Amino acid sequence: MSRIALLLLFRRTLLAVPILLCVSALVFLVLRLLPADPVAMSLPPGATADDLARLRQSFGLDRAIPVQYVLWLGKIITGDFGTSIFFRRDVGELIARALPATLELIAAGLLLGIAAGIIGGLAMFAWRGRTGEQVLDLATSGLMAIPEFLWAIVLILLFGVMWPVMPFIGRLGSGLVQPAPLTGFLLIDSVIIGRLDVFVSALRHLMLPAMALAIGIAPLIMRVLRSSLLDVIQEDYITQARLRGIAEHTILVRHALRNAALPTISLIGVQAGFMFGGTVLVEMIFAYPGLGNLMVDAVRNHDLPVIQAVALIYCVLVLGINAAVDVIYLAVNPKLRFAT
Amino acid sequence: MRPQTRVALHRCITTPRVVAGLMLVAAIVTVAVLAHWIAPHDPQEQDLLNILLPPSWSAAGVPDYPFGTDSLGRCVLSRVLFGARVALYVACLAATGAMLLGTLLALVAGYFGGWVDWIISRIVDIWMAFPPVILALILLVGLGTGVNKVILAIVLIDWTRFCRVIRSDVMVIRRKDYVAAARLAGFSHGQTILKEVLPAVVPLLITLFSLEMGIAVIVEAIMSFVGMSVEPNVAAWGVMIADARQFMNQSPWGVIIPVFAIFITVLAFNLTGDGLRRALDPRLMTSRGDV
Repeated sequence: MSRIALLLLFRRTLLAVPILLCVSALVFLVLRLLPADPVAMSLPPGATADDLARLRQSFGLDRAIPVQYVLWLGKIITGDFGTSIFFRRDVGELIARALPATLELIAAGLLLGIAAGIIGGLAMFAWRGRTGEQVLDLATSGLMAIPEFLWAIVLILLFGVMWPVMPFIGRLGSGLVQPAPLTGFLLIDSVIIGRLDVFVSALRHLMLPAMALAIGIAPLIMRVLRSSLLDVIQEDYITQARLRGIAEHTILVRHALRNAALPTISLIGVQAGFMFGGTVLVEMIFAYPGLGNLMVDAVRNHDLPVIQAVALIYCVLVLGINAAVDVIYLAVNPKLRFAT
Repeated sequence: MRPQTRVALHRCITTPRVVAGLMLVAAIVTVAVLAHWIAPHDPQEQDLLNILLPPSWSAAGVPDYPFGTDSLGRCVLSRVLFGARVALYVACLAATGAMLLGTLLALVAGYFGGWVDWIISRIVDIWMAFPPVILALILLVGLGTGVNKVILAIVLIDWTRFCRVIRSDVMVIRRKDYVAAARLAGFSHGQTILKEVLPAVVPLLITLFSLEMGIAVIVEAIMSFVGMSVEPNVAAWGVMIADARQFMNQSPWGVIIPVFAIFITVLAFNLTGDGLRRALDPRLMTSRGDV
């Protein structure tokens, strides 16, 4: 990695700190507006006022809000996310189990979506001015009108109910026991321990939710790639290459695609951020044990420590992916390499 | 009507996407308004002898229930028609609120610049660090649930979509000669913003507004799907999907029909917005000297 890319990464990290501080304060404050008492809700009906007071004290909920926030922040820095009110378990542990599942899903979704988007974008460009482009253009409008969570349901309906070829519940088939987590990524763990059956089952379970996420980004990538290819193809250096007698598909891959990739890369950065939001419902619908499912459970049970921690993790992920995309953008774009 | 307005209008109504989108929107609005009269049943009416019926065109269907019934024997067609009311109610109010808040802050930030701009831009940065669904869930935990809370949450989240885009446009516009001329002619800052800057961003605003209505329909569907929007007995598309999902094996139509309703509604707003963007492309308009 070049020195400038490292510098950019450093600056991004530095900027992320105040953003994360504000985000965490905001989440903390909004959650304290809560009209219901989450601790009281978690107690059995026979509990006394004394029990309640003791429990509130043990969660630190009896202190003033700014004090609660500072205490919470201090613990977060040391890696202690507190205890879940609903699950009565360490929040850090809950997150450590759910995070790899979500990351695996996001990676699969991004991979599928980017592949489909690039192929579709190239097809739209190749068929420019013909019926094929019109058909694809209309198809993208249609695809974009259905959000990820509805795609999840439609895919279950198609490949799980009407034509039952794909599993759609959880991460593994019912006969298989999840191996002890090494990395937490099932696809990687199963290879390490040499269990082909686990690998295949995990991959099959990943397919439908990843497809639901992929359909969310592919049409946008198609459109942006097509329009930047249309811009680039009018440049002088393309005409120059044509005059030199270079084959059209070589021009497309070697010259046009490389320059047209830039807007697509920044779009992927923005969309990857949105995709984290998309996983919340997709995970819930597929009963996929990731961060999103944890979040929905926590929201339903007013489990404040879990909500706060998961929200913060999502923000770190979004900021992280934005920074990563910036660095990739810089590495690919020769014009930016010498700027600040 | 000013000639440039007429040109812009003409360009809009000759764009196929805008025409198709607006026709669909008109159809949905009609359905929502007339739901009382055109729905064959009350959306809450239960017919426990006829549960999970398929649509009337299939062999086991009953002509009384054109799209079949759900797990409580309620008419799917009537519920979808009434669901359009919830969707449009949320879409209109939420998009209007988000537009007002976002545009106000964008005008202030873009026009005055300086520290005001710095603060507003940093707030936008913070908001953008959240995936919108996460922010919505957190807000609804804090605010409590209900359809009006969903509208408030959408406004509090999606004003950034307007603010970011409009702000950069305002920054360009405020450097134009006619804005300086307005100031020299004795206009106050407020007058300049309202009479000179705001009209220039109206085409963009209309486009964003249309797209935002589609987004609001989706967010409402998500929130009623997870049970944080309308009361569980109200006919909203998200509620219908959540109910019918459990009986997908016996009766897939209960899911397909509300999904299709969301699809058509969002498509209608997206087509309109997309078409308007093409028809009102500011680059085309500035190069022609109007705006």
